[in-house]
Order: sequence, then C-alpha cells, then structure tokens
Amino acid sequence: MASSPEEIAKHKKAYKAVGIALLVFTCVTVSLGAFPIFDFGLPGATWEDFVIGLLVATVKASLVALVFMHLNHEKTLVYKFLIFTFCFALSLMALTLFAGWDPIKEAFETVRTNGFPSLKS
Amino acid sequence: MEIPYEVTARRDTGLYNAKVGIWLFLASEVMLFGGLFSAYVFLRVGVNDGVDTPWPMGLDVHGSGIWLGFLNTIILILSSVFVVFAWLALKERNWNVFRNWMSAVIACAAIFMCVKAFEYNKKLNHHYGIKLTDDSVVEGEIANGTDKISFEASKVTLSLQSDLPAFVGHVDGAFPDFTVMEGEETVTLQGEKGLRKWFYKKRARVSQDLAAARKEFRAAKKKGEAAQLKIVSTKAELTAVKPFKLLAKDRKVTNYDEKKLNYIDNVVVEGKLINDYVELIPHQIDLQMIPIGRQKESMVWSFFEKYHQVRPNWEKAQEKSLEKIRGHFKGEPIPGKVVQSAYINLHTIPHEDFEDTAGNHAKSEEKKSEDDPHKGDHAEEKHGHGDADGHDDHGEHHTISVPRSDIRFMGNHGPRYGNYYAIYFTMTALHGLHVIGGALVLLHFVMFGKKLYLKNPEHLANRVEVGGLFWHFVDLVWIFLFPIMYLL
Repeated sequence: MASSPEEIAKHKKAYKAVGIALLVFTCVTVSLGAFPIFDFGLPGATWEDFVIGLLVATVKASLVALVFMHLNHEKTLVYKFLIFTFCFALSLMALTLFAGWDPIKEAFETVRTNGFPSLKS
Repeated sequence: MEIPYEVTARRDTGLYNAKVGIWLFLASEVMLFGGLFSAYVFLRVGVNDGVDTPWPMGLDVHGSGIWLGFLNTIILILSSVFVVFAWLALKERNWNVFRNWMSAVIACAAIFMCVKAFEYNKKLNHHYGIKLTDDSVVEGEIANGTDKISFEASKVTLSLQSDLPAFVGHVDGAFPDFTVMEGEETVTLQGEKGLRKWFYKKRARVSQDLAAARKEFRAAKKKGEAAQLKIVSTKAELTAVKPFKLLAKDRKVTNYDEKKLNYIDNVVVEGKLINDYVELIPHQIDLQMIPIGRQKESMVWSFFEKYHQVRPNWEKAQEKSLEKIRGHFKGEPIPGKVVQSAYINLHTIPHEDFEDTAGNHAKSEEKKSEDDPHKGDHAEEKHGHGDADGHDDHGEHHTISVPRSDIRFMGNHGPRYGNYYAIYFTMTALHGLHVIGGALVLLHFVMFGKKLYLKNPEHLANRVEVGGLFWHFVDLVWIFLFPIMYLL
C-alpha cells in the first residue's frame, strides 16, 4: 500500500502509464470497428473481429484490475473470493453453451418447418 | 462503541472490514453482469440464419453514434485515473487536491450520463424502423407526428368495467366537452376533468349494480325460485359537443377503418379517418430478410419512385462491391459466403440520391396537387441538398409516405425493436445506474468527508479506496460493453 512519498510517486507514475495505455487500447478497439481497413476476415463481425476485439478488451480490463484495483498485490482472501467468482461466472457462460443442445429448440424447428400437427391435419 | 478494523487491517486476513465487504459485493456484481453477458451471447448465437432477422452489427445500429461510445469510454478511463489520484492525495494528506480530483470524477460521471441521455434520446425519439409486409425494412425519422393515426372523432362508446380509456391521452389540442344520457337526462361533461370525474363515479356505480344483481340472483337460486340475472349496462355512449382530433398510438388500436377506430380497451371511436400514412425521412434500406434474387423487386423501392437515383445507385454500389471481390480472387472460384457478404443488404441512402433537377421537382409538386393527397405523398420530394439525416438546406425533409396496410411492424429503436435493442438497453441502463450510484457515493465523500478527514484521514482514505474499487468495476464493465454493443 502507498504510504511513503517514494511509494506514492511510484504509484502516480504507474497510474499515468496505465491511463495512457488504456486510452491507446481504446483507440485500437474503436479502429477495429470503425475503419474497414481494420476489419479482419470477411466484411462484418466475424470470429476474427471478435477474438481481436475481446482480446484488447481483456488486456484493458486486466490493466484496470491489476493496477487500479491493486490486484497485483492484494491479500490472499481477495484472490479466494475472485477464484470462486470466476468459476461461477464461467459456469454461467457454460449454461449458454448447453442451451445450444436444448431439445426444445429441435422441437421448435420441427414445428417451424412442418407446422403444428393439429393444424396440418 | 468503536467498530474494529475500520482503519487498520485484521491480522489474519490483512484486510480492513470495508475491503472485505466491497470485494464480496463486487463478486456478486460480476455474477449480475455475467448473467447479462451470458444472455447476450445466448441471444446472439441463437439467431437462426435465414429465418430470424440477422443480429445487427453495432456499427450499423449506431452509425456515427459509435463516437459517442468512444467518447464515453475515454471519459470513464479518465475518471478511473482521477479516482486513484484522489486516493493518493488523501494518502499524502492533501484535502484540497483530493477534492479537486474527486470533483473531476463526478464531472466525468455527469458528462457520461449526458452523452448517454443524448444517445437514448436519438434512439427513442428520432430513429424509427418500418418493417414492410415483404420483410424489407426502411429506417429513418418519423415526420409530422405520423407515427400516430390521425382521426376526427365525434362519438365514443366505452366500457365502464375497465380503466380510464386510452383515447383520453390521445386527444390532440383542447380536450372536448361530451354529452351523455343519464336516464332521461342529458349530462354535459366539461373537459378532461369532467370526463374523468364522471367515468370513475359511473364505473363505481356499475360495479355496485353488478354485485347487487349477482347477490340477488344467488339469493333467489338459494330459495329455489326461478332466477334470472339482471342485466346491467356496462357501456356508455359519449357524444362530443364539437368533433375533436385524436392522434392514436398504433399499439393501442386493434383495427380501424374510414369511420371507426377500435381501441384495445374495447373503446370504439366513431368519426372520420384523417390520415393513416406514415411519413418517414428515410436513412437506410434493410434488405437482409429478402432473398438476394428478389431484392430488386422488393416493395420498398416503390416508395422511392420519385427519388429515381436511389435504386440505380444501390445497384451500382452492389456491382462495385462484387467487382472488387472478383478482382481479389482473379478468376478463381469464389466461395459462396464471400459472394453473399459482398451484397449490400443494408443500404445507407446517400443524401445526393434525393437530389433532383428543378424541373422534376416542379413536376412532382404539380402532380401531387392533382392526385389524391395520399398518393401524391407516396414518394414526395422536397428540393434541396440534404445532409446525412435527410434534412435539406432549407430545413425541409425528403420524406416517403407508407400506408399502414403495407406495414408489418413499426417502432422506434427502443427495447421492443428487437433482441439487440432489448439487451442493449438492459445492459447499458443498468450500467448507467451503477455510474449514478457510484458518483453519488463519491460525491458524498467530497461534500461530507472533511469532518472524517480531520478526525482520521486514513479512515477516509480507506473509504475512498473502497468507493474507487466500485468505480473501477463500473469502468471495467464498460470496457467490455463498448466493443460488443457498439462495434462488433
């Protein structure tokens, strides 16, 4: 934690550097979407754009979390909280994947292509 | 009583109370936003190609508005830097510097919310989409309040078992006086106040009469007598002293014709239809749901007949795009997906396409006056050079008129417009509420923190650190929201 004048000066330097890095990365992100020259893969939002866009966002988020939120030198208890949160959040995202195999969707597809059985007869 | 570990850390955890609390709170916040991000993925991945409306790219939805998102990102990043500097100022025991940095953070939050309000206002009040019956879409700005059905009303039949009729809120201009028969007597209802008073009183009476009739019926039945339920009239007929104008919202109307307007709450308004055409200042044509081979014949073009450059220029742009792909592959077979991506399904109409020669303009004006007023408006042209929003130099607009019979769905770019808009508004509004909440907490430190600072500056520094952690989290959420909602 910042307490001595030297440490505070060090912190100030780090915060300034991270701030500038975040601004630069924001320009990179916006250029990915705003200028066709930076549109990777086929025109439009393709997986290449997603990977690059989210990668840049992850780098930015990591900088905020590590430096601004002091997670680069935090106490073990906080990391324990975050590991649990990460696992739960990941499981939540995984539920979205499971929905892809949801049998209700198949039934829905059948109805959409063939119509409701009662209506057909 | 002194609460322990408010300022100093506990020896076993190395953390003071508030820090444990904020991290637990932030963990729950991660789950909250995680759930919404998960919903976003679910909605986006769940789009069925060729069946559902394709998920719009943030860039297509926001257009130049992505720069507003960019501006807000910059503002939030700067505010995050300011928060840590404010905290360091407290560590240096410098109240004035702390106050200045924190004020800058609050100013950033205020600017962020103003930009957001501007953005929402554009979407809710200026951006409309009309989905035609062949699934083509034309987007733009509604002109002359024609998103509502214009009707001249003279008689209203309403139900006395429902809430206050919706038509009351649709009256354009001065509220009319009504007359209503009360037995043999004719009663005049003076203005909106008179109508409301009469309606609530009458509704209560009808409700009592119905209850009494039911009670009477049950009592007679119990005695074994031949009972018949007494009929209570639940309808009332109001006659306007003078015909009045209604601007009826589409979603409150079930159907209508030249003489009648049937409201969703069983209210029937009789009179004369004035206008049911929607006038739109078009910005973009969306042909994504039309098979490529049939796009040239889409009904959307019929509304642009007088803007004779719109369709040929779209075709030219299409050909140019295909030519580019052919040039890229140099005679080699081109994958179908690449060819498909070269078709311009979303055509932003350049303002030059609305221009015409002075002669043509004069003719179109003449023709309009001779024709049926609705038909003349069908592809009405107003002269001048337009800007990107369809405005010309004289403040007039290039409009098209679309009959409601050709419309399948119409709406502003609010949450009801599609899944993208629903999740966009949910997530950005929730994030906005976090910005407001965080800013209020930080403002509290600036306004009322001096006393605590003088008593125990380290205690205030801890509080500011905790408030700052929340603020950084808000920034962190935006870092992901910006690319997925505005760019990808």
